[in-house]
Amino acid sequence: MIEWPHWMAIVVLAPLSGAVLTPIVSLRDRRIAPWFALATMTVTSVAALFLIMRVAQEGPFSYPLGAWTPPYGIELRFDEFSAAISVVCLVGSLAILCSVRYTEWLRELAKPRIPYYYALMLLNLGGMIGFMITGDLFNLFVFLEILSLSGYALVAVSGERTAEMAAFKYLLMGAISSLLVLFSVGIIFGITGSLNMVDVTTRLASVAADATMPAVLALGALTIGFMVKAAIFPVHVWLPDAHAIAPSPISAVLSGLVVKVGIIGMLRVYQIYYGSGILDLTVLNQVLLWLGAISIVMGAFFAIFQDDIKLMLAYSTISNIGYIVMGLGLSTNLSVIGGAVHVFNHALIKATLFLAAGAFIYRTGYRTLTDLRGIGRAMPLTSIALSIGAVSIVGIPPTAGFLCKWYIALGAFEADQPMFGFALIFGALFIFIYYIRMVNAFYFQEPIHKEVLRVEEAPLTMLGPILLLAALCLIMGILGRIPLTFIEPAALRMLAPLGG
Amino acid sequence: MEVVDIRPVLAPAISLVCAGLVFLQGSNAFWRRFWSLSAALVKLVVVLSMLPGSLQGIVYVYDFVEFTPGIGLAFRADALGMFFAAVSSTLWLLTTIYAIGYMKGAEHRVRFFGFFALCVSTTVGIAFAENLLTLFLFYEMLTICTYPLVIHDETPEALRAGRKYLIYTLTGGAFVLVASVIVFDASGTLSLGQPGILTQEMGMGTLTVIFLMLTVGFGVKAAIMPLQGWLPTAMVAPTPVSALLHAVAVVKAGVFGILRTIYNVFGVDLLAELGFTMPLAWLASFTIITASVIALFQDNFKRRLAYSTISQLSYIVLAASILTPFAATAAIAHIANQAFPKITMFFAAGAIAKKTGKKNIRELAGIGYKMPWTMGAFTVASLSFIGVPLTAGFITKWYMSLGALDAGEWWFVVVTAVSSILNAAYWLPIVYIAFFKAPPGTVMHVEEASPTLLVPILVCAVYVILLGATVEVPGMPFSLAEAAVNFVFGM
Amino acid sequence: MLEALWHNIDYVASVVLFCIGLYILIAKNNLIKKFLGLNIMETAVFAFIVTIGVIEGGDAPIMGHGAQAPFHSPIPHALVLTGIVVAVSTTALALSLIIRIYRQCGTIEADELREME
Repeated sequence: MIEWPHWMAIVVLAPLSGAVLTPIVSLRDRRIAPWFALATMTVTSVAALFLIMRVAQEGPFSYPLGAWTPPYGIELRFDEFSAAISVVCLVGSLAILCSVRYTEWLRELAKPRIPYYYALMLLNLGGMIGFMITGDLFNLFVFLEILSLSGYALVAVSGERTAEMAAFKYLLMGAISSLLVLFSVGIIFGITGSLNMVDVTTRLASVAADATMPAVLALGALTIGFMVKAAIFPVHVWLPDAHAIAPSPISAVLSGLVVKVGIIGMLRVYQIYYGSGILDLTVLNQVLLWLGAISIVMGAFFAIFQDDIKLMLAYSTISNIGYIVMGLGLSTNLSVIGGAVHVFNHALIKATLFLAAGAFIYRTGYRTLTDLRGIGRAMPLTSIALSIGAVSIVGIPPTAGFLCKWYIALGAFEADQPMFGFALIFGALFIFIYYIRMVNAFYFQEPIHKEVLRVEEAPLTMLGPILLLAALCLIMGILGRIPLTFIEPAALRMLAPLGG
Repeated sequence: MEVVDIRPVLAPAISLVCAGLVFLQGSNAFWRRFWSLSAALVKLVVVLSMLPGSLQGIVYVYDFVEFTPGIGLAFRADALGMFFAAVSSTLWLLTTIYAIGYMKGAEHRVRFFGFFALCVSTTVGIAFAENLLTLFLFYEMLTICTYPLVIHDETPEALRAGRKYLIYTLTGGAFVLVASVIVFDASGTLSLGQPGILTQEMGMGTLTVIFLMLTVGFGVKAAIMPLQGWLPTAMVAPTPVSALLHAVAVVKAGVFGILRTIYNVFGVDLLAELGFTMPLAWLASFTIITASVIALFQDNFKRRLAYSTISQLSYIVLAASILTPFAATAAIAHIANQAFPKITMFFAAGAIAKKTGKKNIRELAGIGYKMPWTMGAFTVASLSFIGVPLTAGFITKWYMSLGALDAGEWWFVVVTAVSSILNAAYWLPIVYIAFFKAPPGTVMHVEEASPTLLVPILVCAVYVILLGATVEVPGMPFSLAEAAVNFVFGM
Repeated sequence: MLEALWHNIDYVASVVLFCIGLYILIAKNNLIKKFLGLNIMETAVFAFIVTIGVIEGGDAPIMGHGAQAPFHSPIPHALVLTGIVVAVSTTALALSLIIRIYRQCGTIEADELREME
């Protein structure tokens, strides 16, 4: 069962075809839409599970689409980084579950259009899964566009006054970044005559001498392109508005998963360039290191001044992506492992936080810390989940956020860059003080609005996912060795040059 | 000899479960009291049940969970940890009884008793932490769990104090974490189970940074000057909190961290070569004297107690920095020898405030006629701080002086003597005012606080005398401290 | 230097076109004009990719050896075709967003919209 090769096709095709089918099957009754989407994601998750079990057993494997052998046909390639589709499936499914009540409540979203919401969501998730498992550079671009376009549309769904503006800003920046990616795919095709990643890696190594200039150009354009998607300083400007204004389940998907696409993209580029050994990446690493550090500090700094809970979470995403990029930039074994693990863990943590914040907004209609004072007494379970998420994102052991910080700090000392280690931990402290303020507002301060105390606990379709994710934040910290055993060989392989 | 045993995990877990039960059922007064008391009792029994084994040299260990290779949560009940755990669980039981009486009719009692139990849970976790990471985790948890207790009254003043407390201690925690990362990077382990894991080869720079960061990190809670700022402000908390947390749990956690740094991270041999501890010793001496002088001028009862705490805590740091076996004995024994007198005093101050509403020292004239038992216990505690023989404080001073002379540092004996004089100067006036400055016509009219307040006070006072008079105090034998010292010095 | 540029005139042209598009995107105030700038950038990239398909002395992949040059590599064409499809959908989405912005705010000038926020 596990060995059946076509799981690989199913894991991409199921959500994409599900996206097309959702509006059709829910023509008669729109209430079918979320459950159909959920069923699609279940199929996808099962397929993903088999794939991950297989990669754990035998390492990376590939699947030729339409039986065209690589490098001529399009190759789907599943390696340890691709295991990130597990969180895509999990967070995606839970976000869909949360949307059941949330979309009904969204005033601006016309009821007949609700199935399209789920269609877009499935499109987005399918695009992400495809992006993570493709072995072909152009295919990478196509999936990138699928997920980006659906992402822009999802931001605009919320119908809050500034949503369209945020979506348009997101679209402009996103389209430029996609163009840069396409541009460099063109260059790489020009110098190697191939689009298959493995093939490109070997060919780059052999054409090295006379093609360094275009290779550098392609690397630069790819990095900038993916940096926009990952919202690294200074190209982060689209993120706070888009993530704060989108409906909360969408924010969870965007913040937890979609920005990670930029990171996975960078990992893929690194795999190619490290593998070919064509360039010395020290300069790029320095740039990433500094940009990562600036993102951490800046994200945390801005988060502190936000009263809007979702805006604060959005800035904290910038900060956390900064950690991951810093881990890549340090380019030691430990730091890359730390960064890669945080790709998984941050998705869980941020989804917990956004969904819990969404539950507050759903119940009270308020979204600032000041207005939400005292909510901890009215919605204790959601608040506890939010607190676990907060503790986790700060990186207190034994929660999921701790591993990343520990490994990256260790990597910083290993790489003789102790200043970054210090910056990292004190940055975390900075955030901690802010989150304490949040807990303070929820539990200890006198409520401003009396009705906040009277709201009910979130409905089951929201509470269940939130609690599950919060539990995972703890479990992934305690059982941190499980993702680590996955990521470690991949990271080591990536940093070792081809044949080395 | 190491034995794998669940009890080192069980001890903190009991309070954790108790906290959960209090949060669930706490709105009912009976269940709240029942769970708090029975958990305190069970925990004391669990800790004491390890005592006979500990005295025979058995070390109970339990690897709880390993996140990733080399780092995880592990517990280890060695002699030093056992001593700290025994002190804190004994005092938890007494403080719980006291708190039940003291908090009668107060608001937010569920939260109070829930977090109270959590604090004790984390304190025992600190005592039994096998590695720096576990220590750090419980150290940070202690900070977070104390916060709701500090801001219990939710007045602006309390909230301000809480914020100050958090900023100080969380920053300290961050230092500890950074230091742990560097230690792991340098030595590949975080274990606290050996007499020292660092070696000279790691380079002077790295070792200096580690030592500085660990002392600053733990020094915040140990209230070494100039890091003491949070402690006097945190006195806005209810008295049982001030008593347990600012005489035992929180501040001792900091001191305990410094002891672990000196004895188990660096090891005495390495530190003797490096000479890092001399500046620390001078800083501690400075703190002892300065805090005592400040205490002289405090009229608020609890603030005077707070500055006295700062001064007394530095005794332990000073004794530990001297790096001789006798001084080390003094350092470890003083964990108990400071805790019992200080908690007696806090209890007495609380009982007086509860009974009469008097919070300033000058209002206490003649209080000895009204609350003779309370003030009697207070007097015993004062004598202990002054260092009168047959009280707990004498033991510390005796051993510390021996240790200082061993090391050839007679200056520290002078510091001890000056401190004794200062202690006399600010404790005895209270006793004097209470018993001899009564307004004319005062007659003996005993009106003691309720038994739940009085009994813990008297028990603590008895302990103060026992600790000074015998080496076989039930629950915390002196030989345990000596066993810890033998391990540390490889004797 | 100049000769090298002249030799690669097709690349130079697409870079110039790209920069023109970027300038419009940044400098123009009207949302539709901004988006037209993006479209010009897209065209530049497509043109660039099509030109790399021309390889002097290259073999045609399907007709086999001996067929008469010049041939174009078909892969870039396939890529650009896909790229155009993507560009069209981006444009459609952007225009619909602009329409919604216009309906809600009554303007599509970026500075006026910023004031409204």
